[in-house]
Amino acid sequence: MRTSLVELRDAAAILRASSVGSLPAPPARSARSLDSASPRARARALVLGAASAALVLGVTAPALAVEPEVTADTAAQFYEVTSPDGQRVLTRRRFTATLGVAGTDLLNKDKLRAQDPLAPELLFRARVRFDSDYGAGGEEANRQSPETLVPGFNRGPIDLMYAYVEGRRFFKGVAGFKLGRQYVTDVLGWWSFDGATVRATTPFFVAVEAYGGLEQRGGMPLSTPRFERDGIMRGSRTNFDPAAWTSFQPARVAPAFGAALESTGTSFVHTRVTYRRVYNTGASNVSMYDDGLRSPVQYDGTRVSSERIGYAFDGSLPNVGGVKGGLVYDLYVKKFSQLYLSTDVYATQKLTLSADFDHFRPTFDGDSIWNFFVSGPTNDIGGRLAYQANDHLGISGGGHVRLFNNQTESATDDTTEPRLGAPTSPNGLASGNYYPEGAFYVNGGGNVAAKYRYTRGNVSLRGAADGGGTGGRAGGDVYADHTFQNRYLVSARAGAWYWKDSLRPDRSATSFGYVLGAGYILSPRSQAMVEFEHDVNRVVGNRFRLMLWLTLAVTK
Amino acid sequence: MNRRTSGFSFVSLTFALALALLGALSMAFADPQKPLADAGAPTATSASPSPSSSAAIVAAGGLVVPGEFASGHAPLPANAKVPLKWLPAGAFDPDTGPSVGIYPPQSLTIRFNHKLHQTKVGTKCTTCHKGATTSQSAQDHLVPTGVTCDDCHGSDHKDLAAVKAGDDLTGQCAFCHEGYKPSDGNRVAKLVLPRANMIFNHKKHADRNINCQQCHGEVQELELATRDQLPRMRGCFGCHQFPDAAAQGMAKGNCENCHITGGGTTGNKMKIAFPSGTLAPPRWMHNAAHTPDFIQRHKMVAANDSQFCANCHKEDFCTGCHDGRVRPRSIHPNDYISMHPVEARLAMQKCTSCHREQSFCLQCHQRLGITMSGPSDARNAGRFHPPKNIWSDPPRNPGHHSQEAKRNLNACVSCHIERDCVACHGGQGIGGGFNPHQGGFLASCNTQFSRNPRPCFVCHDPQDAKLNQCR
Repeated sequence: MRTSLVELRDAAAILRASSVGSLPAPPARSARSLDSASPRARARALVLGAASAALVLGVTAPALAVEPEVTADTAAQFYEVTSPDGQRVLTRRRFTATLGVAGTDLLNKDKLRAQDPLAPELLFRARVRFDSDYGAGGEEANRQSPETLVPGFNRGPIDLMYAYVEGRRFFKGVAGFKLGRQYVTDVLGWWSFDGATVRATTPFFVAVEAYGGLEQRGGMPLSTPRFERDGIMRGSRTNFDPAAWTSFQPARVAPAFGAALESTGTSFVHTRVTYRRVYNTGASNVSMYDDGLRSPVQYDGTRVSSERIGYAFDGSLPNVGGVKGGLVYDLYVKKFSQLYLSTDVYATQKLTLSADFDHFRPTFDGDSIWNFFVSGPTNDIGGRLAYQANDHLGISGGGHVRLFNNQTESATDDTTEPRLGAPTSPNGLASGNYYPEGAFYVNGGGNVAAKYRYTRGNVSLRGAADGGGTGGRAGGDVYADHTFQNRYLVSARAGAWYWKDSLRPDRSATSFGYVLGAGYILSPRSQAMVEFEHDVNRVVGNRFRLMLWLTLAVTK
Repeated sequence: MNRRTSGFSFVSLTFALALALLGALSMAFADPQKPLADAGAPTATSASPSPSSSAAIVAAGGLVVPGEFASGHAPLPANAKVPLKWLPAGAFDPDTGPSVGIYPPQSLTIRFNHKLHQTKVGTKCTTCHKGATTSQSAQDHLVPTGVTCDDCHGSDHKDLAAVKAGDDLTGQCAFCHEGYKPSDGNRVAKLVLPRANMIFNHKKHADRNINCQQCHGEVQELELATRDQLPRMRGCFGCHQFPDAAAQGMAKGNCENCHITGGGTTGNKMKIAFPSGTLAPPRWMHNAAHTPDFIQRHKMVAANDSQFCANCHKEDFCTGCHDGRVRPRSIHPNDYISMHPVEARLAMQKCTSCHREQSFCLQCHQRLGITMSGPSDARNAGRFHPPKNIWSDPPRNPGHHSQEAKRNLNACVSCHIERDCVACHGGQGIGGGFNPHQGGFLASCNTQFSRNPRPCFVCHDPQDAKLNQCR
């Protein structure tokens, strides 16, 4: 067992630190991991812990009109990751803490709103996150050590997940706004930016929305790269040798704006049209080789990062069924990157039958060369059923096939003249960039799931199987949790999964695993929990993971 | 006079005995399949006739028509099914009742015949439910107390510790209280009517001339009104379809108009967990039934109307997975880190909904040396992909990297940086010149070049004549 009791003690100490605002003195055997944390990371942990304690304690005192809320989530994980050849092992000692503050009813209108649904509302919400890996070696973040540096890697980043002030129903219910770091979730994806959104809800079942600001990008202060378009390795190049890691592009501000038109108010139909454009600014390394045939060069100028338009809809008739659909058109690549349609038929009061279609074509940031590599999209066709036996038990399942059809004939511009579109490959394939053999692929799979809910817990089952030319996996697991005396929480999970790696047959294996958890519910929204996970398979042998959770919430 | 009186008494006695005999016979020939009410365990939504209480009343010599005395134990005689037209608006056929989360199960230990009171006694809804038009909170108790019954039934419920029965049969405890037995002392079975877990203003609705039936169904046609006569959310939407803003009417459709706010540990905005049950959207609402496999299709709901999700879920709920730092086992089971390449090769697009390839995936792969361009100290000397003769050399049969890339380019991007591809695909100065462009590329390249020429210059010199076709 690689996770020792000492590590358990480390975890408890770290958790205590988060609640009282100071880091504990590391136990002797764990000195390496905690000492290896940079003073900066330790200072961050200290500041976050102190802020957490101060806010949790301070919020309870005064009687304000505002309805305050302070929440904190802490998770400590201890495990190891091994490379496929077993040569390299990463010791993960991760500590993740988030701290959220919120205040609702800033205008003290809640009582008024009970009488008047048009009464305005003002609120704020913010959450900051500290995500560190005390198991990481400092050399991976050392920018003076190109042999070990992992570009963009940060051992203890702090990011502001969101922080905004929101107003609703101003000007007799017509106007709303959001100011600050915020998420936008729609058919274009899950996205974050710093800026402002204004929204007008008209009396005609239509709302208009417009927003603008700066996209959240990795390498910028208090930011993560999670929300920028893929295809570019980007981050802070501060203290980087200009000639080193030229593929690692410098992070720059990314102006963005968007607009949406949305139906509102009706429960049986909804639709949203949305448009968004994001710009890349500043210099970008173009030549990837500082010692190649070309000299390192940069391209500098404001340019499109992404420009897309999307549409989504759903409609339902309570005794018949419903339909959902959507599309995304990439105006930079000039192709549909996504098309989907789902139809539900309410066969009986308890049984729903569904058919799904999903078309996907990857697109990337405008700076990325990979937009030019894309060829055929994948198309998924599937069927599902869901049976709600009663208030407690639900069963669902389905299957799908994924079709991919590669280019099977040379295109016109490939043969008329040797222009840019023509294949210039020096590999002897004069007939061009197409695949006369094996151009049609089928993957497939399915899943079943069941869930039984009861007052004090739930039991769920899951099984899934997916397969194709590159491999597949199949397996299932069962999970249960139960609360005793409204105080004590226990959970358990057990599963067996088989996977076949056709490209690397030696990596195929069957995994057996279980997780045991126990917790204590401090209050309806606060709890502490410990989980122990053990998995065994042929590839890595025994793998252990220990997890400690602490969730705290304080409200007025 | 005395003779007439004694004659009347004789007739009365005879009539009473005959009724008692009829009552005894009716019990003797009663349907044996029909469940008998257990005085100690009344059912949650309806009560069945109680022969023991009937026998007690009849034995007391009361003047009761047996058919009427047996009423009020269920919505309809013989516990018949209530027609859909008499149920609240929004009920389905077959009806599954209102939400147990909103309306916790009840224990009705009173028999009551609404139809009889309306048609024969002449009472109105507000005769007994006095607060029905003035209540402004769902926490108000609108079911009448025993005192309300006293005026007509002759009983006295003022002091619940010492309730006095009325003089005639209708004032006896067992007349209304299911399972009442004198031998139990002056105790009756507890009536359990939990408050609704919602916000509701009866007065506001009554002031707009919305009558009781519009929300509660045709209660006047029923005997016992059970939990099934409580409103259905779908019925509310008959009016509450209007936007959460200036619009026609005041019946706004925003959730917090009716639902209680205040979340739980999972970052909920609306209170969804109650001891009696958990709230989740019904399937007719945005097709968003939270079935056991909802996680596989929730994107279609969120992509269309994220505000609908936000009625219950705060951002924290979404970030748990979509920007998560802790592996959710309900998605990634067992030793997923060993299993993940297989799933990524099948459908990397699933991964990208939570993970950004050129940061999340690439960084870990670089740390572990599973990449062509990682730090030299970490770089793996071994070969990750299949042998060169399959993966790189012509012909491009299945298994060749070009086909894998075109089928699932995201998987490549999770390990490689663009320099890795340019090494072979670069067209000018550097690279082997293996053209990556697909057929028909010229049709769109001018748009791409004009909006962002940066990726073109990665492979082509700015002076490359081929670029003129895209300028």
